[in-house]
Amino acid sequence: MSGTTFTYGKINDDMLRMLERPHPSYFLLLLGFLTALGLGVLSLAVQVNVGIGYSGINHPIAWGVYITNFVFWIGIGHAGTLISAVFYLTRAPWRTAIYRAAEAMTVFAVMTAGLFPLLHTGRPWLAYWLIPYPNQRMLWVNFKSPLAWDVFAVSTYMTVSILFFMIGLIPDIAILRDEAIRKGQKLRAMIFTPLSLFWRGTNYQWMHYMRAYLIYAAIATPLVFSVHSIVSWDFAMSSIPGWHTTIFAPYFVAGAIFSGLAMVMTVLIPVRVVFGLEDYITDHVVQSVCRVIIFTSIIVGYAYATEFFIGWYSGSPFEKAIFYFRPFGLMEEWTLTGEQSIGFPQIAFFLMVFCNVIAPIPLWRWKIRNNLVAVWIICGLINVGMWFERFNIVGSSLQREFLPAAWGSYWPTVVEFGITVGSFGFFFTLFSLFVKALPPMAIMELKEAAHPPMKKEAHG
Amino acid sequence: MAKFSGVWATFEYLDEMSHAVEKIREKGKKPTVLSPCPRHEIDHALGEPQTRLPFISLFAGMLGCLTGYSFTAWTASDWVLPVSGKPIVAIPPFTIIGFELTILFTALFTLAGMVLLGVIDTLRHPLPPAVKKYTRFQRDRFGVVVDCDPAQTQDFEEIFKSYGAEEVHIENN
Repeated sequence: MSGTTFTYGKINDDMLRMLERPHPSYFLLLLGFLTALGLGVLSLAVQVNVGIGYSGINHPIAWGVYITNFVFWIGIGHAGTLISAVFYLTRAPWRTAIYRAAEAMTVFAVMTAGLFPLLHTGRPWLAYWLIPYPNQRMLWVNFKSPLAWDVFAVSTYMTVSILFFMIGLIPDIAILRDEAIRKGQKLRAMIFTPLSLFWRGTNYQWMHYMRAYLIYAAIATPLVFSVHSIVSWDFAMSSIPGWHTTIFAPYFVAGAIFSGLAMVMTVLIPVRVVFGLEDYITDHVVQSVCRVIIFTSIIVGYAYATEFFIGWYSGSPFEKAIFYFRPFGLMEEWTLTGEQSIGFPQIAFFLMVFCNVIAPIPLWRWKIRNNLVAVWIICGLINVGMWFERFNIVGSSLQREFLPAAWGSYWPTVVEFGITVGSFGFFFTLFSLFVKALPPMAIMELKEAAHPPMKKEAHG
Repeated sequence: MAKFSGVWATFEYLDEMSHAVEKIREKGKKPTVLSPCPRHEIDHALGEPQTRLPFISLFAGMLGCLTGYSFTAWTASDWVLPVSGKPIVAIPPFTIIGFELTILFTALFTLAGMVLLGVIDTLRHPLPPAVKKYTRFQRDRFGVVVDCDPAQTQDFEEIFKSYGAEEVHIENN
């Protein structure tokens, strides 16, 4: 990467410049995100106050937009762990510039995701019932239920990703501390000193630190694959047509990485443009992320096709029916002008196929991958497509189960839209605050990747 | 803070610093090196020291795995919930909890172990207060600290200077 020729001092200054007093437009942007968040909080208040009946969720569609959001946001988080852990183990040098921001994204996305199962329970104040704790009746959670696995998987994932993020920050916070001391900013120094865990950068500290980092990367790698597999088993362990398939775990994981990397590009391309970071988030980095996006897009497209093939090949009339209903719905519903307009699952299906399979195709061209605007638009489309993929899975199967007499239909209500918008507001507010509060790139790792200061010729 | 007697120096260049460290080790001292980022050159100069952290992580992982299986098995036996004649203590679903707790325990203990080992080493090899006030070790300078008797300070000062140290300080407090 081109950062290799920079001196340590230049990297330090370039990175710390990003934390200086922001331009007024930053506050305007933040205000926009806070407005979205406010809408979400308002909708949440209405939802909790009135009860779950205020949403569009009703028999037989018990899982609607909330679970869609949960699965979507967990997936967004996966890219951060992939970049920080898997690409660390595989020694992909282009990860260095983007891993901190991607990891922050993981933490914020998992925090956002974590809100939805709580909300979905309908009585979030009783959400602690999900955790096995000793109680008077010695009543325990059912560990054979995928929902109990999910509690363990998601809370472990959240803990590990927060700790991984915080460990990566230790040496960088020490840099901020020393900078504050040098400039005589006492309050900042007082805040950063305990946060840096009194880091001095001695060889002993580095020795334990680097090994701890390696161990974290090694445990986060299987974790990231397990978490979305377990989320997929929430569906696959049931007997509902369209859900009960073995392809779900790899299908969900590939989708998670696909959507997460698209979100990484969605947030980092503006960061690169605003802060002028062409020398760090180079075209090579964007190209590399785009290549992984193409790869995962193919897996996701293949999974869509496989689902349909197995639906037909299984010979099960219920499987066949659900894969007919997903694109086409009931025939009499298939009118845009008639009394019954097109249903939500059909919109979800076609958006999913377009955004996830067709829209990434231009990325095969080098010229498109090198065009930031094009990449940004495609990644935005992928984000939309992946949200609708999650909806397509969650919503459509429940509408058309085994018994036609028990079929139903589903449209999200205004509170569900409000909370969904609010979740994006929550995520982007946290991310905007992070970009200005902590170094969005790992200063220490950029230095490690740079050419060290040598008096004589470098030797191996 | 313990009293410190010795010499410390700052270096601009990594190779000069590494050679100085090698020279000091030949004299039978174990210097403490401060650097803005980890470099293999420093490890080579210090004689490839190894951390004991992986043993803590391994222990934690095994403990987590054991906890995951035994906790699920115990709660399933404590509150028996028969489902379609399937085993009460069923290994496949409990493997998931066992796996997740392996990861969780490893993560928590590795962090605690890293902090603990760091604290132990900091207590064993204290830094003089002046080193802590020098704010460029996190930025772009390398530092070497040698803990020695006041009689030896002259020798180490000369070694540092001969290897091109920027600043050399003698501490006797």
